[in-house]
Formats: sequence, C-alpha cells, structure tokens
Amino acid sequence: MFKLAWRNIWRNKGRSIITIAAVMFCVIFAVVLRSFQVGVWEHMVGDIVANNFGYLQVHQKGFWGDQSLDLSMDETTLDWDAMENVPGVRSLVPRLESFSLVSTGENNRGSLVLGIRPEEELSGLRLTDQLIDGRLFAPASNEVVVSEGLAEYLHVEVGDSLMFLGQGYRGASAYGQFMVAGIAKISNPELNKQLVVLPLETAQWMYNAMGLLTTVVVDLEPNADFAEVKASLEPVLGSDFELLDWEQLFPELVQTIEADMAGGQIFVTILYFIISFVLLGTVIMMVSEREREFGILVSIGMRKTTLAAVTVLENLMLLVGGAVVGMAVVKPVQFYFKYNPIDLSGQMKEAIEQFDFEPKLYTTTSFIINLNHGAIVFVIGLLVSSYAVWKIMKLNPVKSMRA
Amino acid sequence: MSKPVIEVKNLEKVYEGAVPVRAVNGISLTITQGEFTALKGPSGCGKTTLLNMLGGLDQPTAGSIAIGGVDITTLSENALIDFRLRNIGFVFQAYNLIPVLSAQENVSFIMLLQNRPKEEREARAQQLLEAVGLKGKEDKRPGQLSGGQQQRVAVARALASKPQFVLADEPTANLDSQSTANLLDIMERLNKEEGMTFVFATHDDRVIKKARRIISIEDGKVLSDD
Repeated sequence: MFKLAWRNIWRNKGRSIITIAAVMFCVIFAVVLRSFQVGVWEHMVGDIVANNFGYLQVHQKGFWGDQSLDLSMDETTLDWDAMENVPGVRSLVPRLESFSLVSTGENNRGSLVLGIRPEEELSGLRLTDQLIDGRLFAPASNEVVVSEGLAEYLHVEVGDSLMFLGQGYRGASAYGQFMVAGIAKISNPELNKQLVVLPLETAQWMYNAMGLLTTVVVDLEPNADFAEVKASLEPVLGSDFELLDWEQLFPELVQTIEADMAGGQIFVTILYFIISFVLLGTVIMMVSEREREFGILVSIGMRKTTLAAVTVLENLMLLVGGAVVGMAVVKPVQFYFKYNPIDLSGQMKEAIEQFDFEPKLYTTTSFIINLNHGAIVFVIGLLVSSYAVWKIMKLNPVKSMRA
Repeated sequence: MSKPVIEVKNLEKVYEGAVPVRAVNGISLTITQGEFTALKGPSGCGKTTLLNMLGGLDQPTAGSIAIGGVDITTLSENALIDFRLRNIGFVFQAYNLIPVLSAQENVSFIMLLQNRPKEEREARAQQLLEAVGLKGKEDKRPGQLSGGQQQRVAVARALASKPQFVLADEPTANLDSQSTANLLDIMERLNKEEGMTFVFATHDDRVIKKARRIISIEDGKVLSDD
C-alpha cells in the first residue's frame, strides 16, 4: 500500500511538487511569524523580568498595590537563610524603590529612584556593563547613576549635581543632593527614561528608611520554574509578606502579550485557511482524475476503506514531506534572527518605542513552534483528505468506471 | 454434467428516472463450469448491465444471482467486495490497469489484496504473464505496452486470484485484428487447458465465432440461447 501511495504521488510530479512547496512555504511563513512574535516577547520578558525585576518579588503585604514606602519591610524580619535554601533560588536581591522629583537647573522630572547593591543585582542593573559614561557610584556615597534618557532630558553630564525631592518613610521629607557618577543605558526603554540608581544605604538614608527594604527580588537558577519556586517559597515567608510572580507584577504585560499573540493567531489562521483550500483543490483534482481508477480497484476487490487509507496516506506523505522540509528550512532562519535581531528604524522604531518596547525583532528557537505548525498541517491534511474518503466511501464502481 | 457456477433467476434491473428504463427484464440462466459463453446483442440491449450484476458490481432491482451457491444479492458491500476478490475475474473494454504499477505488479496486486505470500505472488504473476505471451515485459508499465499487450495483462490479472469464472466486457473492442486473435487464442487455451469459465459481453463477431454458447439478448430479455 505504501508503494502504491508513493507511486501515485509521483504520477503527477508537477502537482505534487507544487503541493509540497505550498505546504513548505505555509509552514515557513507561519513558523517565522510566530517565532518573531514569541521571540520578541521572550526577549522582552527576559529583559524586563529576568534582568531587571525578577520572576518573583517579596514585599511587605500590600506594598505592590499601594507602592508606599510606609509598607516597607524590616530586613531583619526576613529569614534570609531559609529563603536562599529553597530549591531554584540562586540569590536574593534587596532593593528600596520610590519616586522623587529630580531636578537640575531649569529641568526636572518625576523619576524612579532605586537603591541597590550593584554586586548583588540582576544582570540588567549591575550597571557596569550598562555604563556609557563615567563610573559606578562608590558604596554608601552621595553619588548616583542616571539612565541615559533621563540624563538627556535633564541635560546632565557626569560630575553634575542633581536635587532630589520626595516623601520618605512615614511622611518624612526626603531630599538630597547627589553627584552624577555615571550615565547608564538601560535596555528597557521605559526604565531608561526615568531611572536613577544609587547605593541602597544612601537611598535608605534619604527616605528615612534605615534598615528597610521595599523589595527583595528572588533571582532564580537557570531553567528553574518560577511557579514551583514560588510554591516552595511561600511557606517560608509567612503571612506578613506577599510573594508575587512576574505575571502578577505586570498583568498589563501579560495582557499585551496575549492580545498580540491572538492577533498573530488570526493571521496564521487566515494563512492556514488559504493553504487548506489550496490542498482541498489538489485533493478534488486528484479524486476527479482518478475516479475511474478508484472504480476499477473496488471492482477487482479492493475494499473502500483500504483505498481510502491509500489516498489519505498519499496526502499525508505530501503534507508531512512539505511540513518537515519547511520545519527544517526555517530552523537556521530562527537561529540567525535570535542572535542577529532586526533593528527597526525610522517611523517603525518610534512607534515601537512609544510602547516602551525595544525596537528590535528577535526570533525564538523553540522547536515547539515548529512542531505545533507541523501538527496543524497534519490535522489539515487529515481534514482535507476526508473529502477523498467521503468520495470513495460513496463510490459506485460501475458509474466510476464510466467517468 | 458440469456443476453450475452462475445461476440467475428472474433477474430485473430498472433504472429509475423521468422515464424508467428496464435494462434487464426477467432473465434466468445458468452458466456451468468450463463454459466459453458470449452474451451478444446490440448496444443498449442490457448485456453489460447483466454482466455487471453477475460480477456483483451492480445490484438488481429484482431476482437472484447465485455464484457457487451463494446469493450475492444478499451480501453486504464489504462482503461483496471480498467475494469478487476471491471468486470473479474481470476483463474490461478499456483494460483498466493501474497505471503506476508494472505489468507484474498489476497481476500481483490482486493477490496482495488476498494476502498471499510474496513468493507465491511473484511466481504466479510470472507464470500468468508467460501464459499470455508477455514474458520479458514484466517490468513495463501500462503506458509502455500496446493495447493488445495491456489487455493480455488484464487477462492475467483476472486469472491471478484463481476465480471461479472470468467476466469480460467487450474485451476486443479496442484491439486490432491480430491482437484480438492473439487474445482470443489465449483465453480459449486457458479455458480448455485449465477449465476456466469465461463469459463475454460482446458484439464482436470474432469473439462470437469462438464462443461455444451464445446467448442473444434484446430489450433486456434472452432472445436465444444456443
């Protein structure tokens, strides 16, 4: 039966090649499209979450909703050793974050002020790699590192002074004058426009919050599942604290991803509708051309179910062939654009940046996408083949042999 | 006396439509083992319809067809297909070989459907192709063979399943004189040497001359049976 199906495929080489090519290009387009979509989000989540905010954050209960310094937590109330011993936890990163009006000369802007210990930080905020001018602040000094976008807005350079004015812990005034030790390019565009980073102890002093933290970021081991770590960590923390994962921290990001994915899904669905009709056309032509032969085969004693199986096998060989070639051909493309993202420019760059996204298109190399689309093509093949099966099952051999 | 292979009783076939057409109108006949019989008559007389019903390809409106004692009009679709596979050989006017298979594969194919072992299939296909004068053409596909050669492959295919009888519908209609003579000689020899029963639907005088029994049909009825 396999031999018969195989030879039937090549009885009309042109049509078979066109069918295989149609499936191949469909898979390539669909996989490339989804790879870019997933890749961009993967990169963005990786950038925002893994490198800057962490997959998990510990706060005093209620902090994330209020974002108030009054809901800070005392460093000494946390069981640091127990938390670090939870499987999947690589390190714990203390932070104090608040907002202040930052000004210099005529310019001022409301800014995110982040007190950190750079040596303990996530990769996106260690700052040494991100510095484009100057140097890192000295520990516990009155020095700050300003993000590139904010420095441009305030027209400050390394060595200039910045004035901070805000509200500290329990209504205390929070103000200070700091020297710009360095300017850093933060990869996340939103942060790059408004971030000022200073030593943790300096921030605690300015906000009158000595010994207090707003956030402990839980840095995870590579490949650790944040949901599993979260489940293990929650009992260690107790009820005075909240442990939020990145989806709870950034629900709008999750919604944006879902909306974008849905949009992409619609496009891919349309693509598959088109390819389905192309394939259906092929099957209709094949059935029409071979109706007489089907009649002969049934006449001489071939069961209709066997004949239907042969035609389904033919279609699946064409489809799987096209899908496998497509999946293989697209793989190097996925790898290339993962490591060589497309830099957007001009109006498109501006449009993307308006949404605080990095204007680069990355792909993902996840083979799941390829397999998914291969499976979709397989299902389409089965559905389209059902036309041939239906025609065969209601075939009248005498009428068919007259066709 | 030879045993009956086909027993037809009061067979009728009516094609429904705006004007119903009675293609076969109350035919009863018996074909016995080893016959070389021709159903003759003008176009539209009902001989092909009768042949199709004898082969289980078409269902009668009324009457019964017993083959080897089995009433095939009562069989389910799959049972009828299996019955055809094991009991009836077909030779069609237009050869109707499978174009993507070689001559040998066309002959073997029916035995493959019967789940016969590969060695047996190959040996019998070789033997049958040799018997119909196509030794050396085993690997040719239908498109590489002449009409006469294709029809001889069709005869070999019809015999491959070791059927009770062979039904041949206008087997010489597309052949030249020489090919017709060759084909008829082969079928006559198989009939005499192996006792294979042949039933032809034809209006070719060359076939009719070879037949030992001639059943004339007109307007769906048996006009004469000699």
